[in-house]
Amino acid sequence: MLKVATNLRFISKQGNQIRCLATAAAYKQALVNVPPTRLTVLDNGLRVASEDSGAATATVGLWIDAGSRYETAKNNGVAHFLEHMAFKGTSKRSQTDLELLVENMGAHLNAYTSREQTVFYAKCLANDIPAAVEILADIIQNSSLAEPEIERERGVILREMQDVESNLQEVVFDHLHATAFQGTPLGQTILGPTKNIKKISKADLQAYIKAHYQPARIVLSGAGGVEHEKLVDLANKHFSGLKNTVADVPDLAPCRYTGSEIRVRDDSMPLAHIAIAVEGAGWTDADNIPLMVANTLVGAWDRSQGGGGNNASYLARAASIENLCHSFQSFNTCYKDTGLWGIYFVSEPLQIDDMVYNIQKEWMKLCTSVTEGEVDRAKNLLKTNMLLQLDGTTPICEDIGRQMLCYNRRIPIHELDARIESVTAQNVRDVCYKYLFDRCPVVAAVGPCEALPDYTRLRGGMYWLRV
Amino acid sequence: MTHVTDVKFLFTRLFALKNGLNSTRLGLRSFSHDADRSTQALPKESVTPLPPLSEPMSNLPPVVYSSSKSEDAHTEVTVLSNGLRVASEKKFGQFCTAGVVIDSGPRYEVSYPNGICHFLEKLSFGATHKFATRDVMLRELERHGGICDCQGSRDTTVYATSADSRGLEAVTQVLAEVTMRPQLSSEEIEAARQAVAFELDTLSMRPEQETILMDMIHAAAYKGNTLGLPKICPPENLNKIDRNIILKYLKHHYTPSRMVVAAVGVEHAPFVEFVQKYFVDMKPTWHSEEIDNSDPEVDKSIAQYTGGIQQEECEIPLYPGSDLPELSHVVIGLESCSHGDPDFVATCVLNMMMGGGGSFSAGGPGKGMYTRLYTNVLNRYHWMFNATAYNHAYGDTGLFCVHSASPPNRIYDTTIVIARELANMAGKVGENELRRAKTQLQSMLLMNLEARPVVFEDVGRQVLATGKRKPPSYFINEIEKITAEDVVRVARRMLNKKPSIAARGKLAHLPTFDEIHANMALTSTETPQGRRLNLFRA
Repeated sequence: MLKVATNLRFISKQGNQIRCLATAAAYKQALVNVPPTRLTVLDNGLRVASEDSGAATATVGLWIDAGSRYETAKNNGVAHFLEHMAFKGTSKRSQTDLELLVENMGAHLNAYTSREQTVFYAKCLANDIPAAVEILADIIQNSSLAEPEIERERGVILREMQDVESNLQEVVFDHLHATAFQGTPLGQTILGPTKNIKKISKADLQAYIKAHYQPARIVLSGAGGVEHEKLVDLANKHFSGLKNTVADVPDLAPCRYTGSEIRVRDDSMPLAHIAIAVEGAGWTDADNIPLMVANTLVGAWDRSQGGGGNNASYLARAASIENLCHSFQSFNTCYKDTGLWGIYFVSEPLQIDDMVYNIQKEWMKLCTSVTEGEVDRAKNLLKTNMLLQLDGTTPICEDIGRQMLCYNRRIPIHELDARIESVTAQNVRDVCYKYLFDRCPVVAAVGPCEALPDYTRLRGGMYWLRV
Repeated sequence: MTHVTDVKFLFTRLFALKNGLNSTRLGLRSFSHDADRSTQALPKESVTPLPPLSEPMSNLPPVVYSSSKSEDAHTEVTVLSNGLRVASEKKFGQFCTAGVVIDSGPRYEVSYPNGICHFLEKLSFGATHKFATRDVMLRELERHGGICDCQGSRDTTVYATSADSRGLEAVTQVLAEVTMRPQLSSEEIEAARQAVAFELDTLSMRPEQETILMDMIHAAAYKGNTLGLPKICPPENLNKIDRNIILKYLKHHYTPSRMVVAAVGVEHAPFVEFVQKYFVDMKPTWHSEEIDNSDPEVDKSIAQYTGGIQQEECEIPLYPGSDLPELSHVVIGLESCSHGDPDFVATCVLNMMMGGGGSFSAGGPGKGMYTRLYTNVLNRYHWMFNATAYNHAYGDTGLFCVHSASPPNRIYDTTIVIARELANMAGKVGENELRRAKTQLQSMLLMNLEARPVVFEDVGRQVLATGKRKPPSYFINEIEKITAEDVVRVARRMLNKKPSIAARGKLAHLPTFDEIHANMALTSTETPQGRRLNLFRA
């Protein structure tokens, strides 16, 4: 299932980088102390991408260009349902056989669904890669989807739904999508409504697999002790039977953004959970890099970090000194053609007004007067954050798979570095002016949110007359 | 070009309109259509003068990638003139993790007010004599893309930083400053006092009990000595700890012979040079300061296992917004062995074989679904919410324990089931489960060592304890050698001693210590003693 955290992660954790001063010393060769990412496309269009670090362990996985965005109001929830059915046995082996096989190898099998991607991956010892690829191929091609298991899984998913509802951050982000992309498939939740979960049938699941698990939309990604040639051989062996039955990737209807709000006021809760965002950029938009720098400038903070007095972010300093909130986190969630850029915070009822004032003040500063020094510091932090996330085979494998689906390539780390390096304060101001200034925000609030200023006032805070 | 974009853009709006109309017809949010008109659409041209992320940038310099090489982890160790050990290892990648591992922790606090180490954690990476404020130091780290943190366990404190390898000298200086020359101004100590108080508050309000339970089980196992001392600062000591006490503690414990400076992803020779420069040539501040130097020095006593029970009758906070019932928690512990003991690896295999976890924990196959605490316990007794085995290994002893949680009215059954499962460890070990546990332990070891900070900590702790680091391959072989007899032998060795028990929550139904002990007696599998377990009690 999708964790909002996945969504919140900075969209590009693309790679270790070195400061190569690309522009100043373009004649120099960039030395990158990581292995290259290699890509092979099979005859049926399935892409195999890997990075071989020669480690003793590895992660291999399938990244599929399918998720709740491809669903309709009638079958919303089916992609996530399939994820649940994946480990319930195939025509080749029962659920117990599958579990024992994985456990006996000391491997881990995992899956998650987001609005645009479905992922199955295995983490294992490097010697067990052939077995892991075979298992992954088996679960997406031969899942048995037996009726009794489907019935049992309904109960599990409904339980999971309760869990999601107890995670207020996820609730707020579901509301935020529902209002920002109202009337479009991106507004749907990943789990789907209860009534769909109760009636999704074996036929629905099969129809979804048939329509969306097309080899041209699948990436087999590998990291760790993975030899590319061997991975390609394995892919040929286990996936060449997959045929593209649908001529093309369905043309996705663009999802329209609507500035609007949802408030779920509940004064019995101790804290208000609020997200405010504007429409951001799609995955491939070059504006994304300056948007992420802007994101870093706003920053993230929570009370356990204590004195944010020396935090690089103004908002963190204000929050800790003036006790404005319990935590906040800026986010940049991307989709194919659109995105949400904003902030999520948890605050005492009486602090909401001050917190919102400080957020909007900070946003307007980004549009008008952010300085080179601040931007330089944020660029540095952004690079550090991105590269520290890429430690271990699983994060690298995830990065490769996601980037292959989003960009149809893996951005080389020296390029990413050059892109971040090229961001200037003027660039950040331009981008923020485009996405933030005088734009209609979307707002989702849960809890004692009476003190959250009304929409027209929030909209009024999105511009300054003194620019 | 712009023309094409315009057409596309128009198309977008048409689609949006269609969708809007649809939703109106369905009676969903009829305002959405109007709202749509009031929102100006974003101009589609990007304002960043670069190609989209899906296309490569032009005029980038040619690039040379490194190729994969076998990571023959070789750790080099140098002992400097004052006894300080420096250990390093090369590793793939542009970044390095460097830090200081110190033989210091709450186990040494017996003649001090407990909680000093808790304070020190909060005071870490503060102002030093070179860096006037924390901000100056953090900026210095930031320049090299660095981050830092400090974590302590019962017997070891670790200061670690990760940064660009080219900033190694600056990072080494920061590490030397924060461990040997901190300012510890009264403002900083007040801030730490507040942070500790805040943490005590949140700890008592959170439903997660692990931190508190681990303190309690150690207190039961090593009553009043060394490892039994609390890691969480006791509330009554909050106002007792002052600068003088902290400095006195530091002077005796942060000494070169008790420290290892370690790094992963660096060259050994320059690293040793930097350490010499900042750790040896520059003196710690406590040499120059006037510190009350009376009685207490370093507690060199060996941990005394006592066994016994620690219980606290209290309300356990519920998970907010969830329908999980209120839970009571019980931990049963047994003395295992130190990490230097020949039986250490067999104990780890046994821990893996017991496994366990939460009954609703996330994750697919591979999380240990066929370990004993799942197959014999969680899968059979649906009212149990958690059963997890842990093994804590220290320099002179170890504690093997199982944490379990269930609703208060089931806590009797839970405790007896876990006690019997522990006794059962001395029984037969199946061939398959042993093979599985060994493979899982090997893969877990290797997977953990994927991350640089984990390698760093492993290097630091091993060098601190033994003066050298055994490579992962050594442990892989040792694990391979373990037999069923080894596992049974360590289990019997553990079960020969009195258990330790920690319990928290509503405890009206908790069995007595003697009853639990009786159920763990080595013979209990054949002739159950004490009250018979009736699992179908209402």
